[in-house]
Amino acid sequence: MARKNSALIFAVRRTSATAGLLILAACAAPPPYQMPAPKAEPVPAAVPKETPPPPPPPAAIQTVQEAPKSVQKEVAEPPSRAFKLGPAALALVNQARGQIAKGQLPGASATLDRALRIEPQNPLLWIELARLRLTEGDTKQAENCARRALLLGSADVSVRQAAGHLLADVLRALHRDDEAKDLEDQPWMN
Amino acid sequence: MTTTRSRWMLPRKVLYALGGVILVAALSLLGWVFYLDGVVQHEFKGRLWSVPARVYAAPTDLYVGATVTSDDLDTELRRLHYRVGDPANGPGIYRRKGSDFEINTRRVRFVDEVRAPVRIRVHANGEGITGIESADGSELPLFRLDPLLIGSVFPVHGEDRIVLTPNDVPEMLVKFLKTIEDRRFDEHHGVDLRSILRAIWADVRAGQMVQGGSTLTQQLVKNYFLTDERTFGRKLKEAIMAMRLEAHYSKEEILIAYLNEIDLGQDGERAIHGFGLGSEYYFGKPIDELEPAEMALLVGLVKGPSWYDPLKHPDRARTRRNLVLKELGEAQVLDAGAVARAQAQPLGLRPAGAGYVPAFLDLVRRHLKRDYAEADLAAAGLSIYTTLDPHAQAAAERAVTNQLKRLDTIAHNRSKGAPLEAAMIIAEPTSGQVLAVVGGRDTRFLGFNRALDARRSIGSLVKPAVYLTALETGRYNAATILQDAPLELKLPDGQVWAPQNYTHEVFGSVPMVRALSESMNLATVRLGLELGLPAVADTLQKLGLERRPALNPSMLLGTVEMTPLEVIQVYTALANGGFQSRLRSVQAVLDEDGKALKSFKLEVTPAASPAAVYEVSRMMTQVTERGTGRAVGARLHVTMPAKTGTSSDLRDSWFAGFTGSHVAVAWVGYDDNRPTGLTGATGALPVWLDAMSELHLKAWQPDTPTEVEDRWIEFSTGLATEPRCSSDAVLVGVPRGTALTARQGCGQPASESVVDRVKSWLEKTVH
Repeated sequence: MARKNSALIFAVRRTSATAGLLILAACAAPPPYQMPAPKAEPVPAAVPKETPPPPPPPAAIQTVQEAPKSVQKEVAEPPSRAFKLGPAALALVNQARGQIAKGQLPGASATLDRALRIEPQNPLLWIELARLRLTEGDTKQAENCARRALLLGSADVSVRQAAGHLLADVLRALHRDDEAKDLEDQPWMN
Repeated sequence: MTTTRSRWMLPRKVLYALGGVILVAALSLLGWVFYLDGVVQHEFKGRLWSVPARVYAAPTDLYVGATVTSDDLDTELRRLHYRVGDPANGPGIYRRKGSDFEINTRRVRFVDEVRAPVRIRVHANGEGITGIESADGSELPLFRLDPLLIGSVFPVHGEDRIVLTPNDVPEMLVKFLKTIEDRRFDEHHGVDLRSILRAIWADVRAGQMVQGGSTLTQQLVKNYFLTDERTFGRKLKEAIMAMRLEAHYSKEEILIAYLNEIDLGQDGERAIHGFGLGSEYYFGKPIDELEPAEMALLVGLVKGPSWYDPLKHPDRARTRRNLVLKELGEAQVLDAGAVARAQAQPLGLRPAGAGYVPAFLDLVRRHLKRDYAEADLAAAGLSIYTTLDPHAQAAAERAVTNQLKRLDTIAHNRSKGAPLEAAMIIAEPTSGQVLAVVGGRDTRFLGFNRALDARRSIGSLVKPAVYLTALETGRYNAATILQDAPLELKLPDGQVWAPQNYTHEVFGSVPMVRALSESMNLATVRLGLELGLPAVADTLQKLGLERRPALNPSMLLGTVEMTPLEVIQVYTALANGGFQSRLRSVQAVLDEDGKALKSFKLEVTPAASPAAVYEVSRMMTQVTERGTGRAVGARLHVTMPAKTGTSSDLRDSWFAGFTGSHVAVAWVGYDDNRPTGLTGATGALPVWLDAMSELHLKAWQPDTPTEVEDRWIEFSTGLATEPRCSSDAVLVGVPRGTALTARQGCGQPASESVVDRVKSWLEKTVH
């Protein structure tokens, strides 16, 4: 697999100051970000290495199977989907935006809380929340919410980009410009 | 001379002395009056109504698609003490015709707005809400119902009230009150001689004190400043103070103070002061919705709130109310027809005890304690908006009550001490909002709050943390074969530890997914020792445990002790895709003017690799599909990650699990740690299942993180397969591109040559 296919490995939990974003090569077709890979391991680290092979089941010849395409098509491909807000959540987002415009930040926070109670898994709401936290000056939570949006929206290109750009803004606000740039340079961001 | 003088001297001396005494007496009386005047003025003017903080549940949001069925909506409206009738008649009334509701809502204050009464139509079927319109027919995207009042935080002396302003009080109530208690209120100056004489006459005839003859002003003074003794001195003091009060304040001021102050009953520790709270306490509705019969009952209570307590002595209360109504009729305040109608009505009391959630309020208090002094909370008239979901709370309470009734008949050692206990917490994982808390078998009275304070061995509930630790290393996946084989471990204290499986069987080579879902002890201990105890402890802490567990090998089997609250915090991080959501019971606190003092913001923190969390959660769905929790799958038919937990000697029974919308944990055990004879599956699981099956659960269907893919493997062998090839094929999440050993003859034939495989492997690794 060629280098141009290399994907961003995105450490959601940073274990050290430098491990925030790692760019490593991965074999799969462009996954935008991945779990933190153990630094010592090359990438298909997930191949079980230290475990004994399973006992041979009777009357079965074994072989190593690389995610067969048929299976991949049925269950493995992350389905692409387009997130949108339901009318209730949309009304609340508009209300929250109005409150933010008027400087009523605690009110906006309560409104988005209400929206999240309706659609807790909708990445668009997490993007709104990240924006609000940024406005409030709570950059740490802004970053976390943007990352939450990025994870929840991994199946929707435009949502992922929106979350990515927002995260880049947050990272700049946190003076982590290199990470922001790395993020923006990702193929899926453009 | 002398005689004359002496004749004159004596009387003069006596007169002087008398004069002196009178002067002193007059002066001291004047001084006393001045003093009392000062007391009256100071106290009355500086009187801060001691208004307790009000605590509200989260309001139910109605919107198209909301899983609020027509029956749920009916229940909810009744819980809010809306009554059935013609909504045109005023707020607090609704009408249901099958699936269509017409509601006239009350004036209500939310965290972010005050909403005036409004009329809406709501359509709901057996699935949920299908439409909402305002009175003019325009569609509404959403509408929230009133937040349910679930409690008050009041000072130690327990005074509770809802402060009324003159505009809040119905004229009819005032008329009733004056007619029964003080007909000349508008004319007298604090004391009504005529009614005192009448009272004395009545007392003389009865041979004892039967009538007070006190004006409303005197009653107010008595309530404000004086004790309950019936002496002449106190009566005099009361009269003087009443007159001074009238001298300084208007009738309107005195009346509203009376309406807010007068004692109307006692609810345990809490004293019910004033008609505003009296209306809420006895009838569950605001004062402007009271009907004549209800007003008459409240007015009748003034004479003796404990003697006529309608909750304890309904017959006395009814007799008193009807007497009051009769007098009102005689005074021509009500016409004969109205009196007869009102007398025929039932008392109309709200159901006793409903909506009281002491275990949840305990959590609220603790969360608020981080930010407020307890005294400030009690005095300042705050509104506390919580996250409680009354529907979930009711479901959890019913589940605990009903299942304990059943478990009481099968648990071991049940006659050797206090009865079996249980605790349950339900939360919304994404936002960390706590929806329900049950602290023990008695859900109405809070003694020991087990949900927050019972720190017990969690048994196999710890296993997902062990497996997550393994997955996060990248060296394991769901198909990785573990060895479930006996082992002996020499502990630092010299003892030998030889763990066993629950069934004392040994399973040999098993894939991780099976070892976890069948809760195999030997495989888990071996895995945990390979990973290292500190790594497992780290995982627990990352997921939200705020203490470092003791690093004994037996911690891998859950000797680590946690409270249900700590357990649900940890499981919330799993339910939340690896993000920790700090659990919240409070959304916001408003001051008396509706200004937000503090909002308790949603906070998320990345806690574990989303991919590894997805993998372990996917494995945990097998617990409910074919493992120790399969009773859940059999009843709910949704994909749901969960885990059973049983501590050694069956002392603790646990069940924890989550869906897309709810995370919940249940515990069953004895307070003194006697063995119960119950496993996680036979004790806590039925409690958990009963509660969850009443909720409208969204399926657990997270978007698979991009670096993970779902693959079919055999549950027994871990071989890659497809459902059509193996009867025990299960779906697991593995890192994308993981090489799995495949069952031959299924799916794509193994066409790749060894050379191809090595080549592709090199391509992947050498960069």
